[in-house]
Amino acid sequence: MSETHQDSGGGNGDFDLTQFYQIFFEEAGENLDLMEQMLLNLNLETADDEVLNGIFRCAHSVKGGAATFGFADVAELTHQMESLLDRLRRHELHPNAAMVDVLLESADASRSLLARHQAGGEGEVLPTGDLVRRISELAAGQTPAAVAQTPVHVAAPIKLSVKLPHVAAGEAKTKSTRSLEIRIGPLERLEQADAVQELFRDIPGLGSISALPSEAKNTRLFLVETGSSDEDLLDLFAFHVSRDYIQIKAMEVSSDADNAEAVTVGAPDDPLPGTPLAPFPGFGFFDGAPGAPPTEATPDTKPASKAALPKAAAANSAAQPEAATIRVAISKVDQLINLVGELVITQAMLAQNSRALDPAVYQQLLSGLADLDRNTRDLQESVMSIRMIPMSIVFSRFPRMLRDLATKLGKKVDFVTQGEATELDKGLVEKITDPLTHLVRNSCDHGVESPAERLAAGKSETGTITLSASHQGGSIVIEVRDDGKGMSRQKILSKAKERGLDVSDQMSDAEVWQLIFAPGFSTAEVVTDVSGRGVGMDVVKKNIAALNGTVEIDSAEGYGMKVSVRLPLTLAIMDGMSVGVGGEVYILPLSSVVESFQVKGDAVSTVGQGSQLVKVRDEYMPVIELEKIFQIPRFDFEKSCDIMVVVEADGSRVALLVDELLGQQQVVVKNLESNYRKVPNVSGATILGDGKVALILDTGALVRRSRH
Amino acid sequence: MGVMEKLDELTSSDAREYLTFRLDQEEYGIDILKVQEIRGYEPPTRVANAPNFIKGVVNLRGTIVPIVDMRLKFSCSKAEYNSFTVVIILNLRHRIVGIVVDSVSDVMELPPESLKSAPDIDSVIDSAAVLGLGSLGDRMLILLDIELLMSAPDMGLVGSSD
Repeated sequence: MSETHQDSGGGNGDFDLTQFYQIFFEEAGENLDLMEQMLLNLNLETADDEVLNGIFRCAHSVKGGAATFGFADVAELTHQMESLLDRLRRHELHPNAAMVDVLLESADASRSLLARHQAGGEGEVLPTGDLVRRISELAAGQTPAAVAQTPVHVAAPIKLSVKLPHVAAGEAKTKSTRSLEIRIGPLERLEQADAVQELFRDIPGLGSISALPSEAKNTRLFLVETGSSDEDLLDLFAFHVSRDYIQIKAMEVSSDADNAEAVTVGAPDDPLPGTPLAPFPGFGFFDGAPGAPPTEATPDTKPASKAALPKAAAANSAAQPEAATIRVAISKVDQLINLVGELVITQAMLAQNSRALDPAVYQQLLSGLADLDRNTRDLQESVMSIRMIPMSIVFSRFPRMLRDLATKLGKKVDFVTQGEATELDKGLVEKITDPLTHLVRNSCDHGVESPAERLAAGKSETGTITLSASHQGGSIVIEVRDDGKGMSRQKILSKAKERGLDVSDQMSDAEVWQLIFAPGFSTAEVVTDVSGRGVGMDVVKKNIAALNGTVEIDSAEGYGMKVSVRLPLTLAIMDGMSVGVGGEVYILPLSSVVESFQVKGDAVSTVGQGSQLVKVRDEYMPVIELEKIFQIPRFDFEKSCDIMVVVEADGSRVALLVDELLGQQQVVVKNLESNYRKVPNVSGATILGDGKVALILDTGALVRRSRH
Repeated sequence: MGVMEKLDELTSSDAREYLTFRLDQEEYGIDILKVQEIRGYEPPTRVANAPNFIKGVVNLRGTIVPIVDMRLKFSCSKAEYNSFTVVIILNLRHRIVGIVVDSVSDVMELPPESLKSAPDIDSVIDSAAVLGLGSLGDRMLILLDIELLMSAPDMGLVGSSD
């Protein structure tokens, strides 16, 4: 966005900007998100210049775009934010919590203003006057540290004129209005200068402008009263007129002393009247201007500020790489995945049909098919990874939410995340965010106690909420842990009895915890607007069940609580091992297969109730006879089950008894439940190379089945 | 007749078109709009622990479709699988299902006036699913609400969560 305003010196009424709205809204949203993230991570004591500049750039981008598209309310608000951020990054001010708060609130306000514009400008306009006032108060505030650092800047003469208004403001007045004489020209189209005038009308708080008679025909002269810095004005005008054609001269500075050099930078007055102006050598405070140390260089002159670079800085720069990205509609990605799925099926069919060919005769064909197999596999992996995004995207919203929530509830909470790099499918990300948000809010509201209670209980004042994600087998496990007061078994049971639920005191802990998923269940004494109304947990469970996932709760009264959400990774294509039982073919997910071996009769021992165990090296594990579970009719009594396949899922292993191992291939997972219903022990179906359907076994269900 | 008059006739009479098929000795009709295609029979993949009238699932151009043998469901005297056996693929609102029938005949247009209500006989077919009895000459046609029939819990297609 920041490049566009250099070119639009020709005025922006010439072409229709609405086609670019969508891009602007998306990018502005990203900039605001990035700004928020950086603000939250900002170390107030040793504020990293990279971070401050980054935050400034975000505000600047949003302001630029908003001004270009005529969203004056957003432009004005971000303009104010930019002023404060500019002072911060020049180290004129030291960041404090109040500034971070007001900037965060302003970012929120900007977002909702933008949302309103995106929705067509309907609805109420959010009043931003209060925010603007607070920002300008903070921007004008001074701290000893800020003043002490300015001498370093004053050394550079070019900078002086820019500094003065700020210093002046810092000393006495809350607002310093300067009178400037601004000359714009020579212009081919004088409407550009008129557009500059309109800026003062459209952006409240910018200042006032009045036209002065100008000597030259193609220049305009204006008298401007404004509190903004010259650079700000030039930035703003740049949407209409290129900087090279603007000259700003301060008429007076509304403060004391040593402002002999009040004239703004740039070329002296000589070329002025009448003569066609060559483009000035740029204004002093831009990079590369003659003799002027670039703005960005100032941080280097103060090594002290860079001394204690916190680890966060390194992490931050690692977290914000200048990655080249491209936006793609999700429907296109889905289409791509479907097509790759069909390709895999076709390739499997070719592989199957080519098995009967004589290798010697068809050597080239077979090696070509082998290459095809490899290429298809690689293609499939790449395509699947397009839709996978890291959990950090989900986690990113929580720091802000928790900060606000903890402040509101008067609690102190530390937020820790683990496994941010764990990837999951984009479709899941959107659906998991709401349930997770509810769980985290619950932990903060009901779990973590107030600092006083915590100290009384011998814990540290600050509670910790941990959010972690990891891959386990074919699932992704997301845990929300807190070290709060945990759940009270007694309270839950009595509440359940109160509500007439069928409970008994002999229920296991796990069963008691599951009670909180009942609709309308809540043991909170007070209903806050955060939670307590009892509409949350059952919706959480429903949402997670809709994703084919499970929720488990573990709690220890006084110590804390852990909620584990387990979701299947929706892999449309996976590696499968096909096994034969009684003439039927079943598929096992290769990721769950540990090993397979031929079994001799004596290795299998029976335990009570007819269940069988087999000894594998030193471990006994249960045996599952697929023939029995799936009631497979056996026609050929010559064959019998004598191969065991050990699978691992849900943390345990079982041995499956099959007739033969047929092979290993990539299978496209097709949903069985879309047209049929859920079949126990079956997670899906696939289409084999010969066009027939084979069922994919749910190893997790098989393992769980053997447990009791 | 002119096109407009014909259209008027159609819309006013509200006649529906029914695909007729035969199960053993009986003839049935179902709303043609619910029929997606008609295929020959191919042995489906068996699904464990399903009722006997659910033969299994087949691959229909990439979609997994369950196959229900109506002759078994309605306890007909015999159910053969030969080259004349037909599978009607139904596209009901939420699902695609295939039903095995003995044969398929014409598509009939029946105005609602010609339908007679079915007597309340205790039969295998849920009477709620019978829209009425139509007659074509001396043939009796049992018109079914196939969507209601297939969604019934005893058909075993709908899981407990639906």
